[in-house]
Amino acid sequence: MSANCPECDAEITLTKPMRGEIIVCPDCGVELEVTNENPLALELAPQEEEDWGE
Amino acid sequence: MNPVDLLHGLVKIYSPSTQERVASEYLVAQMSALGFRAFVDDAGNAVGILGEGKREIALLGHIDTFHGFIEPRIEDGQLYGRGSVDAKGCLATFVAACHQVGAREGVRFIVIGAVEEESATSKGARYALTQYAPQFCVIGEPSGWDRITLGYKGRVLVDYEIAKAMAHTASTTRAAAEDAVAFWNRVAQFAAQYNADKPRVFDQLDPSLRALNSNDDGFTDHATMRIGMRVPVGLTIADVERALTPLANDATVTFSSREEPFRADKNNALVRAFTNAIRDVGGKPAFTVKTGTADMNIVGPAWGCPIVAYGPGDSALDHTPHEHLDLAEYARAINVLARVLSVL
Repeated sequence: MSANCPECDAEITLTKPMRGEIIVCPDCGVELEVTNENPLALELAPQEEEDWGE
Repeated sequence: MNPVDLLHGLVKIYSPSTQERVASEYLVAQMSALGFRAFVDDAGNAVGILGEGKREIALLGHIDTFHGFIEPRIEDGQLYGRGSVDAKGCLATFVAACHQVGAREGVRFIVIGAVEEESATSKGARYALTQYAPQFCVIGEPSGWDRITLGYKGRVLVDYEIAKAMAHTASTTRAAAEDAVAFWNRVAQFAAQYNADKPRVFDQLDPSLRALNSNDDGFTDHATMRIGMRVPVGLTIADVERALTPLANDATVTFSSREEPFRADKNNALVRAFTNAIRDVGGKPAFTVKTGTADMNIVGPAWGCPIVAYGPGDSALDHTPHEHLDLAEYARAINVLARVLSVL
């Protein structure tokens, strides 16, 4: 199954995608999240923020 | 079971570190009434187990709070009280979510309300890590219902001490207090050099001067200093100790309260379950890393299983006189966690 990177539009093919899986776009290196398996849908992965707290 | 009553009852019982017993017994009684096999363990932790099976899912919160009682009250959908955010809200979320899911075949939900998380001893977590071998672990710390915490910096306390023969202040001999300040400056310089190419606080080595004292008895000049070091992933506590020891020259330095930094993986079934659950209820998940420490630093490396920290509430309210939890967010977090626990 294929979808396009929402950042650089590169075509990305995954054989066994899992919803919630984090992948790296082979073209632009951005992290992507599989938000649907069939049809394959990709979104930019959740941003990583930093925070104080214990 | 009313989750708000559960949390309100827990917050009403003041339980600063080392004074958790009454709160633990209350939570055990509540969990027993909900069908958990519940008990206070040998460390004083409140433990509730739901279901039987080899697949353990540990939900490790803490039942102690920062000191300073805040009169519990509910106003405009907010529950005020010490520990409402940090972290009885998270602990009550665990109990309510497990109860909502119910016992699953082959799975044991283990809710742990650990003692002494707010003190450097972490007694409850250190005991719990010897008792269980979970396949997944969720740490109960607040970061918001739609955020997943993946890591915490480490920490080590540095105690510096110097004693030297008194000299006249008009002499060229440096006073003990001046030696201590010089040590602090070298530590700060070492950290600044390490941090030069690291814009994120999570990646930085962060020293803080906690105390500086000096005195003399007419013969010996004496100075002590305590420094806290927040240690990023990429350094070990041993690295920091090796770097700082020679900076003390002839003084004595001792290290204590060691917690290694820890960063969890984000590509596993646990994280996927959380991101999917948050999206399924209309949220947009975010990851976060924290500049403090938590029980994740202790059990994460030991258990080696997928692990995150999760819980409702704004951690900016931790340890403040205004600590309160939005009850609508509390309900959303219970819903998210119940979805996670139903698929793991």
